[in-house]
Amino acid sequence: MAKETSIRVCMGPGGIASGGEEVLRAFGRELKKSNVKAALKKGCSMHHVGCMGLCARDVLVEVVLNGKTYTYQYVTPDMVSTIVSKHVVGGKPIKEWLVDDSYVNFIKKQTKVVLSDCGRINPESLDAYIAVGGYEATRSVLKSKTPEDTIEIIKESGLRGRGGAGFPTGRKWEFCRAVESDRKYIICNADEGDPGAFMDRALLEGNPHAVLEGMIIGAYAIGADSGYVYIRAEYPLAVERLRLALKHAKKKKLLGRNILGSGFNFDIKIKLGAGAFVCGESTALMYSIEGKRGMPRITPPRSTEAGLWGKPTVLNNVETLANIPYIIRNGANWFASFGKGKSKGTKVFALTGKIKNSGLIEVPMGISLRKIVYDIGGGIEEDKKLKAVQTGGPSGGCIPASMIDINVDYESLAKVGSIVGSGGMIVLDEDDCMVNVAKYFLQFTQSESCGKCVPCRVGTKRLLEIMERITSGRGKTSDLALLEKLGNDVKSASLCGLGQAAPNPILSTIKYFREEYEVHIAGRCPSKVCKELLTYSIIEELCKGCCACLRACSSGAITGEKKKPHRIDQSLCVKCGACFEVCKFKSVDRE
Amino acid sequence: MSDNVKLTIDGKEVQVSEGTYIIDAAEAAGIHIPNLCYLKGMKAVGACRLCLVEVEGGKGPVIACNAKVKDGMVVSTNTERIQEARRFVIDLIVSMHPLDCMTCTKAGVCALQKYAYDLEVAESSFTRKQFGYEPDTANSFIKRDPEYCILCSKCVRVCKEQGTNVLEFMGRGVGAKVITADDKPLQESGCTFCGSCVDACPVNALLDADRWRKGREWEYENVKSACLLCGNGCDITVGTKDGKIQKISAGQAEGSAEKYICAYGRFGFDCIEAETRLTAPMKKVSGKLKETTWADALGIVAENLKKAGKDAGFISVAGIQNEDALALKALAKIVKTKNYDTTMSLYADAETLVNSQAADIDSADLIILAGLAPSQWERVLPQLDATVRRRAARGAKLVVINSSEARISEAATINLIGDEAASLKAVLKAAIGKGLKADKKLADAVKDATVTEEAEQAGEMFAGAASPVIFASPSLFDAAANLSLAKGSAVAVPAESNAKGVALMGLTTGGTTYKEMASGALKALYAVGEVPLSKRPKVDFLVVQNSHLTELAGQADVVLPSATFLESAGTMIDYLGRLKYLPKAIEPQGEAKAHKDIFIQLAKAMGGTIKKPTEAEVKKAAKVKAKTSLKPFEAKKGFDVSPGEIIESVNASVISGSRLIMLKEMAAATAGK
Repeated sequence: MAKETSIRVCMGPGGIASGGEEVLRAFGRELKKSNVKAALKKGCSMHHVGCMGLCARDVLVEVVLNGKTYTYQYVTPDMVSTIVSKHVVGGKPIKEWLVDDSYVNFIKKQTKVVLSDCGRINPESLDAYIAVGGYEATRSVLKSKTPEDTIEIIKESGLRGRGGAGFPTGRKWEFCRAVESDRKYIICNADEGDPGAFMDRALLEGNPHAVLEGMIIGAYAIGADSGYVYIRAEYPLAVERLRLALKHAKKKKLLGRNILGSGFNFDIKIKLGAGAFVCGESTALMYSIEGKRGMPRITPPRSTEAGLWGKPTVLNNVETLANIPYIIRNGANWFASFGKGKSKGTKVFALTGKIKNSGLIEVPMGISLRKIVYDIGGGIEEDKKLKAVQTGGPSGGCIPASMIDINVDYESLAKVGSIVGSGGMIVLDEDDCMVNVAKYFLQFTQSESCGKCVPCRVGTKRLLEIMERITSGRGKTSDLALLEKLGNDVKSASLCGLGQAAPNPILSTIKYFREEYEVHIAGRCPSKVCKELLTYSIIEELCKGCCACLRACSSGAITGEKKKPHRIDQSLCVKCGACFEVCKFKSVDRE
Repeated sequence: MSDNVKLTIDGKEVQVSEGTYIIDAAEAAGIHIPNLCYLKGMKAVGACRLCLVEVEGGKGPVIACNAKVKDGMVVSTNTERIQEARRFVIDLIVSMHPLDCMTCTKAGVCALQKYAYDLEVAESSFTRKQFGYEPDTANSFIKRDPEYCILCSKCVRVCKEQGTNVLEFMGRGVGAKVITADDKPLQESGCTFCGSCVDACPVNALLDADRWRKGREWEYENVKSACLLCGNGCDITVGTKDGKIQKISAGQAEGSAEKYICAYGRFGFDCIEAETRLTAPMKKVSGKLKETTWADALGIVAENLKKAGKDAGFISVAGIQNEDALALKALAKIVKTKNYDTTMSLYADAETLVNSQAADIDSADLIILAGLAPSQWERVLPQLDATVRRRAARGAKLVVINSSEARISEAATINLIGDEAASLKAVLKAAIGKGLKADKKLADAVKDATVTEEAEQAGEMFAGAASPVIFASPSLFDAAANLSLAKGSAVAVPAESNAKGVALMGLTTGGTTYKEMASGALKALYAVGEVPLSKRPKVDFLVVQNSHLTELAGQADVVLPSATFLESAGTMIDYLGRLKYLPKAIEPQGEAKAHKDIFIQLAKAMGGTIKKPTEAEVKKAAKVKAKTSLKPFEAKKGFDVSPGEIIESVNASVISGSRLIMLKEMAAATAGK
């Protein structure tokens, strides 16, 4: 039983980065003080929890007192003694440190299914997970459901792969179940590699047991006796918590031989990935587990027929698996009641970019993008103009502001040339250059290409060269058509998803921001991002001759005498922008 | 498998068996689907994206290397859309490939050049880039130039599949590169210089090291032949130009697991022009060998053989051609001696080799090696080693039965270590226990065998296999053949190429044995080929007939220069019983003559006549049917010379007289480390 008073400190990726550990230690110190101990007769439980969501305001701390929950934002260690003495002991919340309405909105407008326990329970405690209903689903499946029943429930729920492709999970399980084999595997794909995405990490760090439980149920359904969690080594905390969770689960006989006395055997191993983006691709991932070079292979055969070590294998993403126990516990209909059309349930997004409330959110599938950006996200930073929302990471595309009312689900996003992907969502405002954004993502995929097939290996490089040409003022009018042709060729001819999706950021930005490309080719970057397209000059009427720019210029391009207007020699200017930054009189013009 | 699937490819009706890939079905119908990474017989990788075809009713183009045929399928291999996709791929590759086709050795046989020509890609439409890699030219066998590499991965896959495993990819994206471990030069990588990668490379990234300005391949005359350097008797393709051998490559069928030749077979041909090469007959004049005429030399030999009569004897290597063997026998008849024997007798008896059965390795689903330790690295029956590993990689099970662990054991599904004959017996007993049908006599014969857990598993595999093949050392053949009485085939693997041929031609002694003759049992000794003898036995007269001046030849009374197998037309019968033709690829050096021609002329000098042996005679002699009957489960005694020793010694001149000598130096350097 949790004590009446409890304190939860966010130790998700954002919480830790903002100093969560120091805050937690400070609470520990304060609560040990004798006067505090004496005042809190029933004691006070204190623990760290996984990601609470609004990372922008970390460290977030929740104080639960007399059944009411108060959330403090931007907590630093020096605030802790005040919180303890005034609120925990004194019973008076410190209003000015509490979160405001926009936080309340941020939480209220979300629908938490898979994240419902994340940020609430201690991720390092199996008991905490069990206390909120954890492993009930395992118990009920092993006790009273056949594997076929289990698959039927998942099929009915409409759950689709949350890793990006959106393949119906129940059907995948069914395929694998149907294959006869002496050995089968289930793998959890925790090789989250999209820049800006941290959904899986937050889940593994915030509620690792839900993922393990999903794997146990999946393994039972397909008939696997061993499983792997393929997780990138760059997620040390997630690995640590996962290891701990495995240890605890084994101790409780939730893993191993004869699980819960049911006769079902299943065990899980952790395999660390070395951070190659392509290893998120299912076949490459399996090669990597086998100790081979992570290169995708052609299908057929599908992994469900011949996957890891040539045996039938189901590969599910972290979020997909973490949904399983909730579906089993609450029923397929309950899950299907969230979402729209063919996209059921909820989806976690990592909302980042020029957004006020950046963080981890969970929303029902089919929610409008506007709701995400304005209601939950609180709008654009500094109330600037929204330009586009990039979804799906390097394999995704950009949705222009004009389409803000689009429904966020698999089909709708695909229709406009983007994808749900694993759930990265980057908000771009008027200061962002779409050409540069596309170039950035292409740079990423190009350098992460494994090099196996020609279109991806060479094609992405050639695409990138054209993008570099355009952003450096050497673009040709024919480049746009070339980008489109080359992009579509790479898309249709590449071997795996990496190459097939690599041109998406370019193709979708050309589709919606063609003009921006044309202006670049004409020699200008309207958002003033592409360095080589900028020209710095001094507006003589405004220049006071203070010499600040002259001193700041490292290339000797600025000349001029004191108290007389200065000049920039364009042939020497390296466009570093130091003069622009340093001028107090706004006399440096950037165009 | 019957050809039960009917489909249409480019309007042509094609009938193939179920499970065939479109690319092979098309090839069978004479339609070539462009590809750069497809290796027949191996799993497709789909890396080049060139073999795209359109299937009527399909969603989009599919890659023909990984799409199986279906009944009623309608395939188009060369539509406008497909050509456009292929042009795109070639365009991209060309953008990273040198365009020095004018001086490139591979011009004319370069797949990239061919497809660029077909698709009219003269220049890339993208900015051309170069990798800037340095070529690896530090060895005399293979030149590796990554600058030309198109990353088709054929070399990597071939090297891996045959178990040599020295090549792999490094790096990502456009920076991906085929490397050895640590990107070291080949000679420091564990490479055996078999050159399988050279045969596989579709461009100029892997090439025979000595090919610069030795002519383009279209200028070569390519002849199919076989290598006589060891018991594998591999098929080879010999490329000649200007009367010289320019290149030798593996000649086995594309897609067969047997497609492999070793460094000896591929790179040993420059021994033809070695300093030690004999180009004229020689006779001993006051203790020293002096060149003389054929007439003089043959006269001396004829006289001495006549004198010795039945006290004369012939010893030969078993790597001679069938025709040589028949002529030698005929010559012995004229000399009136029954003393003729070959090195075969050191490791096998004729009966074993005659009864050794035929087998199709490519359809074997279980391979059992008994008493054999083939090794690519030591070049002991290297092709057998590579072939067995490839079959295993393609899904066949492998059981290795040996007295101690051998390197091939690493590829085995099951290793049975201990007495080989007893293991064979145990496997058969276990198999019968698992339901293998065997007659009562056979079942009784294995009753008392002790079956270990491994033997139990091996027996289960044998019982379940559809076409098992047992390769055995000649001394274990009888025991192995007992298993073939129940199922599959048993093959004795000799150390020398034409041992089976020599046995079938009957070149086995009716009098003194090889060993006896070699230790000086007779008055006159006539040695043919590089027999493993370095000291002259106590004989009155010694003739050495060989292509190179060996230590023994230096001590002979007369030395007769013979042609190498590449300079003489004839036939051989390999260990699987296949008759192979060896055309004369080039003329013999100097005055050297084919063995059989020397025998014929010698017969003439003795007043007799030998007719040139014909193909019909060879075929008739080879028509002995293999007989298998129940024999005791024990190893035959007296054949303890290892194949490694034999192969090294009969090829000593080839190795020391060619660039192959570098292999020894490299091995020594590596051992020194």
